[in-house]
Amino acid sequence: MIELLRDTYRYRELIWALALKELKIRYKRSFLGFLWALLNPLLLMVVLTVVFSKILQANIPHYAVFMLCVLLPWTFFAQSLAYGAESLVGNGELIKKVRVPKAVFPVAAVVSNMINLILSFIPLLLIVPASGMSFFWTWLYLPVPLLALTIFTLGAAFFFATANVYYRDIAHILQVVLNVWFYVTPIIYQEDQFPAEYRWVFKLNPVVYVLHGFRLSIYGANGQYGLLPEFRSILASFVCGFASLIIGFSIFRKYQDQFVFYV
Amino acid sequence: MHSDSIAIAVENVTQRYRVIQERPDTLRELFTRFFRHQAEVYEFEAVRNVSFTVSRGEMVGIIGRNGSGKSTLLKVVAGVYRPSAGKVRVAGTIAPLIELGAGFHGELTGRENILINGLILGYSKAEMIAREQKIIEFSEIGDFIDVPVKQYSSGMYMRLAFAVATEVDPDILLIDEILAVGDFAFQQKCKERLRSFRERGKTILFVTHSADDLVTLCDRAILLDQGVMMFDGPPKKALETYEALVAAQSAGAEPGSLVDTAAQR
Repeated sequence: MIELLRDTYRYRELIWALALKELKIRYKRSFLGFLWALLNPLLLMVVLTVVFSKILQANIPHYAVFMLCVLLPWTFFAQSLAYGAESLVGNGELIKKVRVPKAVFPVAAVVSNMINLILSFIPLLLIVPASGMSFFWTWLYLPVPLLALTIFTLGAAFFFATANVYYRDIAHILQVVLNVWFYVTPIIYQEDQFPAEYRWVFKLNPVVYVLHGFRLSIYGANGQYGLLPEFRSILASFVCGFASLIIGFSIFRKYQDQFVFYV
Repeated sequence: MHSDSIAIAVENVTQRYRVIQERPDTLRELFTRFFRHQAEVYEFEAVRNVSFTVSRGEMVGIIGRNGSGKSTLLKVVAGVYRPSAGKVRVAGTIAPLIELGAGFHGELTGRENILINGLILGYSKAEMIAREQKIIEFSEIGDFIDVPVKQYSSGMYMRLAFAVATEVDPDILLIDEILAVGDFAFQQKCKERLRSFRERGKTILFVTHSADDLVTLCDRAILLDQGVMMFDGPPKKALETYEALVAAQSAGAEPGSLVDTAAQR
């Protein structure tokens, strides 16, 4: 684990350059470029607000904020895994020809999506007052769930990057898994809208705790706004995060010398 | 390192590949294989028990037929592969020119690729920015430096790659027969640079198919055949041994096609 920190620090400039490269390519040849990172959540908000508050008549006040404050971190998580899974295979030509610490690729995938997440928070700053909500001091708590989520995401990215080197199906399976995962996580709905007899699913879902932290501090719960999660929930989010990182990075480390033969 | 004058020490290095005739690339193949209880994986040694040292300031050529293990050996020295057996010790910084612009990304401009390439080689951003102008000058890319490299000709690509690898001033340069690309004038310029490299006490390991380059540039030559080191000594004698070997093998007519293609990868 110290090794990971050391390499990340040592190759920080490379990781940063790779992350920017990733973003540059993503928005390449699009007229609006980086603006898409801002526009996407805005457009999504319009669609989902119309669908849920007008068509489905979901009774959640300030629905756009309710949903976006969790959807944006979720998007960071899901995209990081999708990019992370492809990161080693996609840089195969490089891995085969130059000695390069392989950990930089999954890390750069997470960093590039982190930049995207931060950009996508800018429209949220407009949407909050626009939907008649206010900013609470609990926004200051946001770095905590962000840290826990990043740790969790890194671990999962290491795992899927490794698995995808050996079986290219993994990237496709991951898409399916993420789709299902999205619906068994309270992102577009409230926990109590989920059938009570199946609510134990949330307890097994490692991202629920950390996403809960985002929702409480930006939005709230049960008609109260600007809350902080209980200590147990914070602890659970970090336990899940470190478990993911330790498992994911150990697997990655065990196989990293073999990648060059399979990418 | 037992002596300060040794730049590269290769000791009993063996590099094994798992040759996978049909490696299951997808889970479906894995499942079918699993139920048929067969594993068609066998090991192939691309480099077998090779030992040599290269002194600081030496330029050593590596020759051999396709699939003899030259590129594998270079990649082991570069640290791309961790050898299956044996040890490689390297004193100083390495710049590998294993293939044309490894690490160049087509969508990025020449300038952006200079930076990323340098960072991959382990240099800092500040160092790369300081060297950027000289790299651009040497490569003769001109205004194309701000154009995505996917629009470069293969000659421009190679020139930029060569310029980056040599301008960062590594202690050891590893070159895998890429000099054949540029035009005559640029080839001369590259060779000139290699000579000045050597004069400044830098070490070069050079895979080549050009008998001419071997004799005029290299101090020593290593001949590989089927992963085994057959000769290590003066370039001219290496060439003679090589010619004799090729003549003997074509008389014996033993193509070994699988071995050839597997080792090239």
